[in-house]
Amino acid sequence: MKNFGKLEILLCLLIIVTLFNTFLGERFSSITLASIIIAATVTYKGFVVIDNFMELKEGNKNLRFLMRLYFIIFPSMIVVSAFY
Amino acid sequence: MKDSPANTSLNIFPKSWSEAHAGRVPGNIPIWVGILSELTEFGIFFAAYFIAKFYYPAVFAEGPQQLNTALGVTNTIVLLTSSYFMAKAMASIRIDDRKKSERFLWLAVFCGCIYLVIKVWEFHWNDLQGFSTNTSEFFTVYYYMTFNHFLHVGWASCAILYVIFRLRSGAYSSKDNSGMEALAVYWHMIDLMWILIFPLLYVLR
Repeated sequence: MKNFGKLEILLCLLIIVTLFNTFLGERFSSITLASIIIAATVTYKGFVVIDNFMELKEGNKNLRFLMRLYFIIFPSMIVVSAFY
Repeated sequence: MKDSPANTSLNIFPKSWSEAHAGRVPGNIPIWVGILSELTEFGIFFAAYFIAKFYYPAVFAEGPQQLNTALGVTNTIVLLTSSYFMAKAMASIRIDDRKKSERFLWLAVFCGCIYLVIKVWEFHWNDLQGFSTNTSEFFTVYYYMTFNHFLHVGWASCAILYVIFRLRSGAYSSKDNSGMEALAVYWHMIDLMWILIFPLLYVLR
């Protein structure tokens, strides 16, 4: 276990969140609430990859802002689309 | 990497955007021009998805239930894992461990190939169920998005093979790895796009 570091923990988290999302979509009765939770988890997954895998957390703040903005705009549209 | 030609040749931006003020650019500036272009392209696809869903809500509620969710989930896990291998390859080259870096790059290529095989299998499975681009508005958007993403994974996998070739010839080290890092951020961008595509097409009802 000595090599089990931050990246490994984040990978496990991302996989768990993916499976949780799928479970929500398949089993949850409230489509609106499921959409809101899924949108939030998509934003979280995006932020994890942007900050830790792309290494923008300590990188260029303008690029980080643009990338994070992308993962705020489109998940927000998921929430909006739940109310169509 | 700060003084590499790729990062100093585009002095067209305000000083406040420079690496000295805004922080280090992972990879190089040209790859970020490419990445932002790709994000715009996928952004148009996502906008098309939401517009189509607005006009055909019933079709988009039914569509994901007709797809093979297990294959979508598997591909998501495969791509996330490939991103992990890519990050490990970068961490290894930074300590001049070329062998380990190469091993992680091969694992990333392997994941890319698994993704492509699963996707081909999924398209074949869809075909057996009688689904095509003309089946419904949902499937038109589905094929546009997923086939476009499929192409990106395909050519980025080829790019990893090229980087492996360069790595073996000694082109990268702990001090000079911006080319390899450029590929890594591009690969992560492809993973990010799938993170958005997966819930839109497979999960949301």
